[in-house]
Amino acid sequence: MENTTTASQKVKEIDVNKPKFTVKEFKRQWVLVVIGAVYVIYGIIFYYLPLVGWIMAFQNFVYADGIFKSKWVGFDKFRFLFSDDQFIMVIRNTFAMGVLNLVFSTVFAIGFAILLNEVRTKWFKKTIQTISYMPHFLSWIIVTAIVHDALTSTGIINELLLKFGIVEQAYPFLMKPGWFWPIVTFSHLWKETGWNAIIYLAAITSIDPCLYESAAIDGAGRFQKIRYVTIPGIRPTIMILLLMNMGNVLNAGFEIQYLLGNGILQDVARTIDIYILKWSLEGRIMDFSLGTAAGIFKTVVSMTFIVVSNYIAKKRGDERLF
Amino acid sequence: MKTKKIVSLVLASMLAVSSFTACAGNKSSKIVDMTMFAAMAGKEKDENNEIKEIIAEKTGVRVKESWLTGQTAGEAIGSIIASGKLPDFIDGGDGCPTLYENHLLVAWDDYLEKYPNLKEMYTKEEWDQFRQSDGKIYWANVFGNHYKTDTTTGHNGEAFWIQARVLEAYGYPKIETLDQYFEILEKYSKEHPELPDGTPVIPYTCLCEDWKYYCIENAPMFLDGYPNDGCVIVNIDEGADKPKVVDYNTTDTAKKYFKKLNEEYAKGNIDPDFAVQTYDEYIAKLSTGRVLGLCDQYWDFAYSIMGPFSSPLKASDGSEFRLDQLGCDYVPLGLTIEAGMDQQWHSYGDELNNASGCAVTTSCKDPDLAFKFLSMLLDQEIHDLRFWGIKDVDYKVDDKGCYYRTEEMRENWKSDSYKAKHSCEYSYMPQWRGMSKDGKNYMMPDEQPAEFLAGLAEPLKKCFEAYGAGNYADMVGSKYVVAADALPWYPLWSWSNGLGTDTPGGVAWKKMGETKHKWLPAVVISKDFETDWAAYQDAYAGCKPDDFLKEAQAAVDSRLATAQSNGWKPA
Repeated sequence: MENTTTASQKVKEIDVNKPKFTVKEFKRQWVLVVIGAVYVIYGIIFYYLPLVGWIMAFQNFVYADGIFKSKWVGFDKFRFLFSDDQFIMVIRNTFAMGVLNLVFSTVFAIGFAILLNEVRTKWFKKTIQTISYMPHFLSWIIVTAIVHDALTSTGIINELLLKFGIVEQAYPFLMKPGWFWPIVTFSHLWKETGWNAIIYLAAITSIDPCLYESAAIDGAGRFQKIRYVTIPGIRPTIMILLLMNMGNVLNAGFEIQYLLGNGILQDVARTIDIYILKWSLEGRIMDFSLGTAAGIFKTVVSMTFIVVSNYIAKKRGDERLF
Repeated sequence: MKTKKIVSLVLASMLAVSSFTACAGNKSSKIVDMTMFAAMAGKEKDENNEIKEIIAEKTGVRVKESWLTGQTAGEAIGSIIASGKLPDFIDGGDGCPTLYENHLLVAWDDYLEKYPNLKEMYTKEEWDQFRQSDGKIYWANVFGNHYKTDTTTGHNGEAFWIQARVLEAYGYPKIETLDQYFEILEKYSKEHPELPDGTPVIPYTCLCEDWKYYCIENAPMFLDGYPNDGCVIVNIDEGADKPKVVDYNTTDTAKKYFKKLNEEYAKGNIDPDFAVQTYDEYIAKLSTGRVLGLCDQYWDFAYSIMGPFSSPLKASDGSEFRLDQLGCDYVPLGLTIEAGMDQQWHSYGDELNNASGCAVTTSCKDPDLAFKFLSMLLDQEIHDLRFWGIKDVDYKVDDKGCYYRTEEMRENWKSDSYKAKHSCEYSYMPQWRGMSKDGKNYMMPDEQPAEFLAGLAEPLKKCFEAYGAGNYADMVGSKYVVAADALPWYPLWSWSNGLGTDTPGGVAWKKMGETKHKWLPAVVISKDFETDWAAYQDAYAGCKPDDFLKEAQAAVDSRLATAQSNGWKPA
């Protein structure tokens, strides 16, 4: 019995998914095809054509000679990359800050969404939500300036520390390499928690209220409802967002590290993006090839991340991207 | 429906008006608009800047200048090259060689013959120093070039600067060493912890950002009595024809200097944010008058603080005061590591920097006009307009034909807003210092002796008098050495600024810079100086500075050989 249903389903699926391409079909759908084609062309021009530039990674690219006349050097640039201590350090920083961001921003966003959901006074909830996602609309340069000012010797943090007698001299936060990653993570949290919570909040809202009611009948308290209804309810959303963000781990950032970093912090502040900028766009060096190679590395790793985590999700039977 | 009509009517009329004005603009004048980018921090001029318009009418060219905004000079030039959108004129700073290597600059050679004003800027030997690997000249440095006589009143170079009021408070003592310098700063800051408006003072700060970290980095070179070769000390104990390159980062003096900074930091005499501040924050800090002492080159800070120092402020008791009247202006001190040593903080004579300068790019549609414009900027009439301003508005002429300014005119030229709307120096384009071509006046107002003295605030005048100094250069009190004549390789930074990463020495230079950027502030704030200093020296040795020093020695030798082939002999 089961066999036959799956078999017939399969046949149906094939019918639905793969209509035969005929002239008649095309004539019927030509408007859709044209609209679709616009997006395909857009994608090709803006996402795939620029990839031609990857050729530079295998050349000793000289701007004046262009792509066609520059000398080919094979994998030399990659060899240089992986023998450069700086690059290894830069990968470490990017990973560290990327993972910290991913973990903390996810946990905080979920936590915040759940807390917000538990608030019963509507106006209060709305107000908090609005206030909390405002910082999302600030650009990083402004956030960095605020963080920078808050942490200098005369900033609010040090003023408070001094006032409460916790320190005797202003503490030089921005001169202590150990503080840099926490500061960056905190800045991300401050800026994005409210915004990230919106999507979880929406997911929570879509949970069937019957579940809460029946949980209440079963004697579940508030915490138990969260534990057994809310969290399982938004689990698919969490999985999808985690998957999507996995590809972003290496996009740990550019602006904040670039703007907040200084000489003392360079060993912990440089990310892959800054490394690319330093090598490919800095006046006397202008090694586009090396920058491109580093960029390719980043893309390949990000792709691998997404594919692997998607595979794991698939294996575990969770929600997945593709 | 009606609203739609109205909207379209409005749009149509706007279009008509805008196209009409565009046409009108084209018809009324034949002035060509050009652009310039200088890889330096600078101040934008207002649209319709008054003197810019006058110069435009006389020369037929109007140039819009733009400056660095936040990024480093290298990054700015890199992105300009990558985008392919070049301005007509460019001063790429360290990026000049990169622009040349990418064939983006127009050679000066043909135009030098055509425009004698330009050719006159340098002697043949000097022009030869600008020649690139293909034998042509692509840029000319525009600074520190004296027309005929050296008339320096200023000290454009580096020094430990101190506010005149600090010296005044203790009867103008003789300050020769770091110990004396920090002692007086500390004492004054304890006795006068606040400005009249309640701003707390900072005894000492120094900038550590990007290439301007020289403020903390190269003092050991000067403290040992050497001139600003920038990247190394060139020791001439065995004679100027046997120069020996020495690394100033590893000398005992370097250690002593940083140990001193470390002690002062621990005592709270150094700005706690010195390593974190950006250039903008640094200038903002200086502009409040709260910083008593600093180490920097004059041009890097002095022009930016003139405006704020001469504008009235409100004291906390409601009265008005001005920072320059209070004695907040900085005077330079030529410190040495031990008292009584000769020093060369001030270098006499012209300093030829062949590593960068003003260039015309291949994007310029009419290079001939561009060079003609550069040449016309050196006409005395235009030069006066640029630096003196408009006659009877910005300066007056007495019966003998000497220019002078009234108090009001001087104040105007210190005000940033006035300069933005009125003055147009084209400050990174060819210019002269020294005596005017009329033989009476000076190219720059601050070099006109009467004007220089009159322009000084009272406390500054008293200070110079007390030390028996006629001007800034006297105040520094360096040994009189015309470096360009005595030391044919001088300044060697014009060589190191052009280093790429294509040689081992260049790679070492880059790594040394990064290591110093990290470690110099770190040893200053260190709680355990000896350990951290050793760690720094280890890290520094790991950059293979010897590779760099070898190339530096070769550069000195080759410059020496060129000079000798031109008939140079040690004095």
